[in-house]
Amino acid sequence: MKRWGKMWALMGLLLLNWVSNVSSLSVTVNDVECVYEYVLFEGDTVSGNFVVVDHDIFWSSDHPGIDFTVTSPGGNTVHNLRGTSGDKFEFKAPQSGMYKFCFHNPYSTPETVSFYIHVGHIPTENNLAKDEHLDPINVKIAELREALETVTAEQKYLKARDARHRHTNESTRKRVIGYTVGEYIVLALVSALQVLYIRSLFSKSVAYNRV
Amino acid sequence: MAGNADVRRTVMFPSFLFVTLLVALSNAPVGDAIWLNLPSTGTKCVSEEIQNNVVVLADYVVVPEDHGHIPAISVKVTSPYGNNLHHMENVTHGQFAFTTQEAGNYLACFWSESHTQGGGEASVNIDWKTGIAAKDWESVARKEKIEGVELELRKLEGAVEAIHENLLYLKSREAEMRTVSETTNGRVAWFSMMSLGICIAVSGLQVWYLKRFFQKKKLI
Repeated sequence: MKRWGKMWALMGLLLLNWVSNVSSLSVTVNDVECVYEYVLFEGDTVSGNFVVVDHDIFWSSDHPGIDFTVTSPGGNTVHNLRGTSGDKFEFKAPQSGMYKFCFHNPYSTPETVSFYIHVGHIPTENNLAKDEHLDPINVKIAELREALETVTAEQKYLKARDARHRHTNESTRKRVIGYTVGEYIVLALVSALQVLYIRSLFSKSVAYNRV
Repeated sequence: MAGNADVRRTVMFPSFLFVTLLVALSNAPVGDAIWLNLPSTGTKCVSEEIQNNVVVLADYVVVPEDHGHIPAISVKVTSPYGNNLHHMENVTHGQFAFTTQEAGNYLACFWSESHTQGGGEASVNIDWKTGIAAKDWESVARKEKIEGVELELRKLEGAVEAIHENLLYLKSREAEMRTVSETTNGRVAWFSMMSLGICIAVSGLQVWYLKRFFQKKKLI
């Protein structure tokens, strides 16, 4: 038992400066996509954001949204968001273990979701063995790192939102060109057809006193 | 697809392996560790939009199932232009590193090779680091002979520089998008005017043609 205690202490020291961090990854959600993240210490703040990047709305101006659920290792739902096209989340982990972050797409069109999950840990007295002291400078450095992480997380959120905005802009640009040129062609065709039709009404094969 | 069974199964790691994994990961620079469940058929892909000239470092490990058997997976990483950056079949762990040559969407796809274990889902731990997170602080510490608090502060300085670079990137993206928006705005006005012009021109042509036609037919 004592050996295990020392091992956990060693791990604690090694992990004192290790903060779990995720790059802004994207997954395509067809129905349900789940991502797992391990939370080492109880009481860690799990924060993050997600944005639905690639969506093809034809008529409506509002995205129907996807559902986001976070399940704790004990099976409880820790966080739940419904029908959003992107949001930030933050919660304090009630227990350590494997957390499940699930995206559920209620519609048939596949969506691409860009997400970022960050598990932040600030060392406290509880994480160290009894004969170790908590260096206040390490706590301050951890707090500084956490503050910088919030800025980085915000930037990743902005980047994902910018990507989504860019998609919409590109789509608008294509639509403007495509639909206008199509409109001209259809207009010209319809008027040519009109003229042809009127001509056919006056053709020799049809007696024109019938008109 | 994912139910409570997934959470229970993935939580039950053998503790010694978990500890080794943790120790191995803690010696690695600050990075990512997400777990994905690979179904027995089908591909799971993760992608990221990365700028040009960014270092990408990734590590993937398949977590053994309860009965000690390690399922094999295959990996394929492609660049936005379709170039194959990393391709491995039937492995249980591996890593890849590259510097991005082009800006765009980088895709890493995983699929399970263990078809015989019907219904078993492989759990893959993906450690994906880009940019500042992929920086090798160990070599910096050795080269400049710094350690402890100074190294931590150096890491924080790196993080602040990365934040600044990201801000500049976001600013340039916003400028690009503003250009596109303004072009589209100008085009909408132009095309609408032209549409009106074409409508009038076409109806004018119609009337002229029909008048000429009826005159030829001696009806008017």
